[in-house]
Amino acid sequence: MTRAGCATPPQELLAYWLGELDEAREQSLEEHVFACAACTKRLAAIVDLGAAIRTELLGGAFSFVTSAPFIRRIKDAGWQVREYDLPAGGSVACTVTPDDDFVVSYLRAPLRDVRRLDVLIDDTTSGKHRVNDVAFDSESGTLAAVTSTVYVKGLGPSQRRVRLVAVDGVEERVIADYTFNHSPS
Amino acid sequence: MGLEATDTDDDAALARRISSRAPDRDAAAEAAICRRFGPRIRLYGLKHLRSEAAAADLMQDVLVMVLTKLRDGAVREPERLASFVLGMARQTVVDQQRGGRRRARILEAFPVDLMPAAEEAPEPIDTERLNLCLAALPERERSVLLMTFYDDRPADAVAAELKLTAGNVRVIRHRGLDRLRDCMTQAEGTT
Repeated sequence: MTRAGCATPPQELLAYWLGELDEAREQSLEEHVFACAACTKRLAAIVDLGAAIRTELLGGAFSFVTSAPFIRRIKDAGWQVREYDLPAGGSVACTVTPDDDFVVSYLRAPLRDVRRLDVLIDDTTSGKHRVNDVAFDSESGTLAAVTSTVYVKGLGPSQRRVRLVAVDGVEERVIADYTFNHSPS
Repeated sequence: MGLEATDTDDDAALARRISSRAPDRDAAAEAAICRRFGPRIRLYGLKHLRSEAAAADLMQDVLVMVLTKLRDGAVREPERLASFVLGMARQTVVDQQRGGRRRARILEAFPVDLMPAAEEAPEPIDTERLNLCLAALPERERSVLLMTFYDDRPADAVAAELKLTAGNVRVIRHRGLDRLRDCMTQAEGTT
């Protein structure tokens, strides 16, 4: 049965897809979706969008901040990950090869009392930009950042300077600076 | 009766048409059943088997079994056909998980010209636009969506990796997905 105007919220459909619902709710929603063309279409759209995101992610399309456990999962799945681990104030000569699927930087810094962390980037190729409110691990004092391999594989010699800034209300405090000196492989 | 008319028939009407025509085939009604339930069985298979190939096999197997039951007049409540099909899908997955391999036997016993080649093709996603829309998201929303869809991780698992609460991840994910879909929809509207 397809119910006209049926509007199971997308977040409920996604929760079903990800296995987040309790067994009773999962069964009842599954029965509803199976009988409802509109919900089938909405769920299929979410699933297809997720698959497209995964494909682009694995193709190296995105730069994003993540976590060390996520990178471990990617490596465990067999993807080739080039990693740079920098202490506060560190610099590194970096590159990328055609075999690399991901390029990851671990930026170490004292982050225990930081509430919000912003990243300021000054890149000789892409210019200056700021990334607000990134995820970080305050206990280990680590920010794990993936750089798009699509982007970095097209780079010539370049330098990227990265600054971590703690934000507390209107107050800003520089935590650490890092320098990446990139050369093509 | 043409295909368009068949697609407007409800489940019970299609089921009765197939049963009443047996032992002859009502090819239009059978094709409509395949078009209607094929995508639903595939989605069910993707969720529970996490494999496109396995989901495609499940779709094929279940449709064959359902059409066989309909031809045999073995579906007692045609108005509850969707529940019947879902039950078949669930049982088939359970059988597969137990190691039972009925597939070869099923396909041997049934002509394969009813396979749902007419399954609705999904709208292709504009990946260039997707990349732009993802790049435009706030960083935490992008992180959560990418970490979720990399391998369809639930909120509590993503939360553990990001040192957040599951509720917080759900809120971020919800906002990010809404923003992403709005961005993608706007793109469709402008093309």
